[in-house]
Amino acid sequence: MNMSTESKKPLLVLDDISLSFKGVKAITDISFNVYEGEICSVIGPNGAGKSSMLNVINGVYIPQEGTITFDGKQFNKMKPHTAAVMGIARTFQNIALFKGMSVLDNIMSGRNLMMKATFWETALNIGRAKREEMEHRLEVEKIIEFLGLQSIRKTPVASLPYGLQKRVELGRALAAEPKMLLLDEPMAGMTMEEKLDMSCFIQEVNRNLGTTIVLIEHDMGVVMDISDHVVVLDYGKKIGDGPPSEVMNNQDVIDAYLGVSH
Amino acid sequence: MYYREAGRLVKSFASDRRMLPLMEDRWIVIAFLAFMYIVVTATASDYLFSAILIPMMVLGVATLGLNIATGYTGQLSLGTAGFMCFGAFAAFNLVLRLEMYLPFAFFFAGVIAGLVGIVFGLPALRIKGFYLIVSTLAAQFFAEWVFNAYPWFLDNNSSGVVALPPHHYKVFLGQESTPFNAVFWHSYQGRYLITLTITLLLVLACKNMVRSATGRNWMAVRDMDIAANVIGISVAKTKLMAFFISTFYCGVAGAMYAYCYIGNLDFMIFNLRRSFLIMFMVIVGGLGSILGSFLGAIFVYGWPILITRMGDWIFGGGTLDTAFVENNSKIVVGTIIIVLLIREPGGFAALWLTTKKKLRSWPFAN
Repeated sequence: MNMSTESKKPLLVLDDISLSFKGVKAITDISFNVYEGEICSVIGPNGAGKSSMLNVINGVYIPQEGTITFDGKQFNKMKPHTAAVMGIARTFQNIALFKGMSVLDNIMSGRNLMMKATFWETALNIGRAKREEMEHRLEVEKIIEFLGLQSIRKTPVASLPYGLQKRVELGRALAAEPKMLLLDEPMAGMTMEEKLDMSCFIQEVNRNLGTTIVLIEHDMGVVMDISDHVVVLDYGKKIGDGPPSEVMNNQDVIDAYLGVSH
Repeated sequence: MYYREAGRLVKSFASDRRMLPLMEDRWIVIAFLAFMYIVVTATASDYLFSAILIPMMVLGVATLGLNIATGYTGQLSLGTAGFMCFGAFAAFNLVLRLEMYLPFAFFFAGVIAGLVGIVFGLPALRIKGFYLIVSTLAAQFFAEWVFNAYPWFLDNNSSGVVALPPHHYKVFLGQESTPFNAVFWHSYQGRYLITLTITLLLVLACKNMVRSATGRNWMAVRDMDIAANVIGISVAKTKLMAFFISTFYCGVAGAMYAYCYIGNLDFMIFNLRRSFLIMFMVIVGGLGSILGSFLGAIFVYGWPILITRMGDWIFGGGTLDTAFVENNSKIVVGTIIIVLLIREPGGFAALWLTTKKKLRSWPFAN
């Protein structure tokens, strides 16, 4: 998607976000926009505040200052539940799957907000409870097919290898049919082949479903290939923001990555 | 056509979601239920009903209740017997004061116990693990204290124990004098059938919950509450609902314990020791398993009885004294808990699943 970002409307606006933990500043005055339908990469050296940024966006951390505007609604304090209701789904850097549950149940749980059956109905397996299980199973099976997880749908996730677990976590996030997908290092620790698969999945989701994607990634090759927009953080400050080609040639960014002699 | 899983292609989501996907399993369960309902009812002795079958089922329901909180939702609790006590006293008072028919009294006793469970589950919103055990322990001591301190709950009976009068045993069809009630409540067969039916209904309801969104939410909170929150599950609501349903089961079990098993009401029975025993049943049987809840209850409750019977059989009647049996069962259950915790944290239920898995490819190693 190489449309110019100016013609699109921002889905997410972060305005002057500052976050600190007992005086230790993790993020200082960061503002940037994520536009509808784009793939936005957040990059930066370790400890730059990338994961904290993602945690601020979906309300796991509450920033001391600044506002988050998502889909036209402004929040001072985003809560994880509100974020989920608004249509933000995410994956975690250290896989946060439900280890004791099967792949199918993990992905099904991603659709919990759409299931309206009360526990009475589920206990008696009547009405909505029964109907919803079937309807949502159909959607979940589409995701399972898309991600190629058919053969392991009944396997407990704890027994799966790392790469597959990452894929299941993406599946759980996709199951919520989010407007925006936050991916925290979706390709970390993967083999070249797994990385290729994963970047294909991400691009397909973006193109076919129109999902806006914010991802954190360290592999510069991948980042420059698939991103429409790159935000660079260093020491909790934003040092670059723009299309990949522009960011790549930004002197501050080069300094942050290669170091600079003082 | 023999028992195997391979080659059975599932053709619809509905059939994939069945409680028992294998046709043979369904027949086995139907045969088992028919056996329990017809053969056992017709042939078992009063001893078998009153000392083995009824208490095992009642304790199985209590274990299932604790398993919903601990095994499925990850909330440790030591208040099980206390919640049973609330259920038993609630049923007694509902029958005594509102002249409720017993099946309704059982249900509402469960609801009352469930509401008490919500109150004592509130700390779970803030604390986890061992700290939560301490707060649920409060439920245990509160139950023992409140029913001791206020004789009103016992119909102002000074002795602390009330034998449940026959006129309490009413079903919908009228007073205790009707033949229907006489058959159903005043014979061991009748109490057995009622216990069996309630147990079956509660097991079905639990199975339905754990294979749907309710159960997925419980397990999500158990496995990783932060991720559960991020995907939109309300962790607080899920925990409290799990506590409600868990203590509902314990409450019904308590009411059945009083009315179907021992036939009197005594808060001393629902002591901390019983809470621990039910926790052992959960550990031995298998955390997060319905089958395991009953296997655990059968084993922990049945072992001392088995030892006594074996002793009688081998050495002649009455040779083994009760102290020996009690100590032996402590040693055996204790050892099994240690071995299981190290070798197979999933308990008997997991052993059964592993065996099934091994048999799938037997005689070839897998």
